[in-house]
Amino acid sequence: MFLTRSEYDRGVNTFSPEGRLFQVEYAIEAIKLGSTTVGIRTPTGVVLGVEKRVQSPLLEASSIEKIMEIDTHLGCAMSGLTADARTMVDHARVTSQNHAFTYDERIKVESVTQAVCDLALRFGESVHDEDAMMSRPFGVALLIAGIDELGPQLYHTDPSGTFVRYDAKAIGSGSEAAQSELQDKWHKQMTIPEAQKQVLRVLKQVMEEKLDQHNVQLAQVTVDKGFEILDEKTLKEIIDDM
Amino acid sequence: MPDMSVLAGPQQHQFNPYAENGGTILAIAGADFTVVAGDTRQSEGYSIQTRYAPKVFRLTDRAVLAVNGFAADGNMFVKKVKQRLEWYRHAHAKDMPLRAIARLIQTMLYAQRFFPYYVYNILGGIEEDGSGAVYSFDPVGSYEREACRAAGAAQSLVQPFLDNQIYFKNQTAAPGQSHPTHLPLSDVLSIVIDSFTSATERHIEVGDGLEIYIVLAKGRSLQGVEGLRGLREMSSREDGERVFVLQRELKKD
Amino acid sequence: MDHFPTNWGRPNYNTFDAHATYPLHVHPQPSSSADGVQHTQQPIVTGTSVLALKYKDGIMLAADNLASYGSLARFKGVQRLQAVGDYTIIGASGDMADFQYLQYILDNLIISEEINPQDGHKLGPSEVHEYLSQLLYARRSRMNPLWNSVLVGGFRDGQRFLAYVDLLGTTYKASTLATGYGAYIAQPLLRKAVEGKEDTLTEDEARKIMEDCLRVLFYRDARSINQYQIATISAAGASISGSLKLETSWGFAEGIRGYGGQTQ
Repeated sequence: MFLTRSEYDRGVNTFSPEGRLFQVEYAIEAIKLGSTTVGIRTPTGVVLGVEKRVQSPLLEASSIEKIMEIDTHLGCAMSGLTADARTMVDHARVTSQNHAFTYDERIKVESVTQAVCDLALRFGESVHDEDAMMSRPFGVALLIAGIDELGPQLYHTDPSGTFVRYDAKAIGSGSEAAQSELQDKWHKQMTIPEAQKQVLRVLKQVMEEKLDQHNVQLAQVTVDKGFEILDEKTLKEIIDDM
Repeated sequence: MPDMSVLAGPQQHQFNPYAENGGTILAIAGADFTVVAGDTRQSEGYSIQTRYAPKVFRLTDRAVLAVNGFAADGNMFVKKVKQRLEWYRHAHAKDMPLRAIARLIQTMLYAQRFFPYYVYNILGGIEEDGSGAVYSFDPVGSYEREACRAAGAAQSLVQPFLDNQIYFKNQTAAPGQSHPTHLPLSDVLSIVIDSFTSATERHIEVGDGLEIYIVLAKGRSLQGVEGLRGLREMSSREDGERVFVLQRELKKD
Repeated sequence: MDHFPTNWGRPNYNTFDAHATYPLHVHPQPSSSADGVQHTQQPIVTGTSVLALKYKDGIMLAADNLASYGSLARFKGVQRLQAVGDYTIIGASGDMADFQYLQYILDNLIISEEINPQDGHKLGPSEVHEYLSQLLYARRSRMNPLWNSVLVGGFRDGQRFLAYVDLLGTTYKASTLATGYGAYIAQPLLRKAVEGKEDTLTEDEARKIMEDCLRVLFYRDARSINQYQIATISAAGASISGSLKLETSWGFAEGIRGYGGQTQ
């Protein structure tokens, strides 16, 4: 694919004769370069985990932010060009707050996912006077976790604006190995502690460095406490307990 | 000699975009049902415009909205609320819950803060927890949940009666006994019908016809009132909340 | 970034809404006229009452042929009843210039909705009434009303339709309707003659009721004239009569002080 570059590479909104949008497909490829990100849904909540690539001993690991809160009942983890995710999370946050303001209720996980995906294909040239928002597709995929009246849910979004619900999903560089591991290990009655450990085990398998509380991050959305990012102390306890 | 100098300048006439179309609405919440009612007369001044102009509207299977005040604003407002409910269904794949409708109505009314819909709204229905609920609004969106509320031309006649009959104001319970927190449906219907016959008797803008909407919580039957004359079911499904409308005549003079 | 999807792909109005504070469903629009515009403050050349009733076969409407300029009987051959499409007749009182504008709008509506598309979709009376209601309500909301009270009568698919709409956007339906002075003078007579008999009244009986009401109006309403038209809309379609003359008798006046020839 990378060797057969063609004129259809140029226009971001031009279909190739085979009916493909190369720029969108390349954007999806970009995610496969990103760090591994894992999500697991259980009956009582959703657990998200990311690998933080600490490239230098001088780098402050806690400044790498790959899991973000959307609302008290919603969170997301990302893989790919994480800077792009800021625009999406910002939009998700505003959409969620706007929903709460207008309807006095928490927005559904699917609705906020849909809102984020509505952004995905709004790239390309703009006509006269129109507000062009982006020049290229997003280079990031998200795992959106949340709880609403339908229970805990985990959604995956990609740069094409497609979203799908999963029981467990891995994205990023180690996603292929991670996904088959999840397929083996996931079961319906997982508890949150089990899910936490499973996320860490999957990350551990695909990471080059030795996993510790500095180079991974864990977050969860639970029925009881909503969205929370686990601090390093809690994370260390879980790792030690593995 | 009166001072005529004030009349010397050109007289300023300003187009008045509002009218007052009379009528009265009322809603009462029970433990697992809500009743929302309104008369059907529409008037302006001393003229009856029509004897049948509905003021109560079914929004969903668990929400009913009564609008009173300027009829043109009322109809437009109901139309826009229904449109927003449809959009919500498309976006979120479910009917809007009652308290969400209440908040939506607030935001829609307040959006017109500087050219208000001259309409008093009462929203009645069943909450997510299965309880009966009434929300009442002022024209710019202030709202609260209550057990009962009357609004419109005969508010000042009906509300004190409701305070006495529903909230038991100025009534002392028998020794060792307490007032019930919720009345049964048959009692509530009697109170509603009495309220409107009384308002019709004493207020010229009330009369002609009466429409009473009854919203029942999931699994609750009509128990005891199913045989009522003029009762018609309006629910879209049988296994959820159910909506009925009861139509009665009021004096036409 | 603009977080309101309804604004995406539209021209941006940063000058009007720098912080995207408008609610989702509202699009801020730049004002087209920086310096003031004149809005209608009062009607000028006016038509008086329009009457309408339901009868056995359809709807009957009536209006006289006068357009007054204040108290001056200025135009004596004005038609105030008008067919709109195949199933509807409207009748207007109030400002005649605004009524002509409404006719222009409705003519173009029929062209763009029925004649141009040729798709077999026709506008019925309820659609025409809804359209007029939205138009008049929108104009009142811009504080620039179209100064009319309009009756919309129609017959389609075996159903009679009769409704009212005015400059405020107020609407209602009834089996008898009357605008202007007619609401005070003719409406009680119409109700007494029609209510409960909508399904049995013949066209001749209905015509007699209309003429009686128009006569009373001519006697009592100083802005009316004794020339009128009657329109019917039924399964047979719309028909508007030519200008007719009211039969009146003034013999009673002889004996009344102030009317007759008495000097004292």
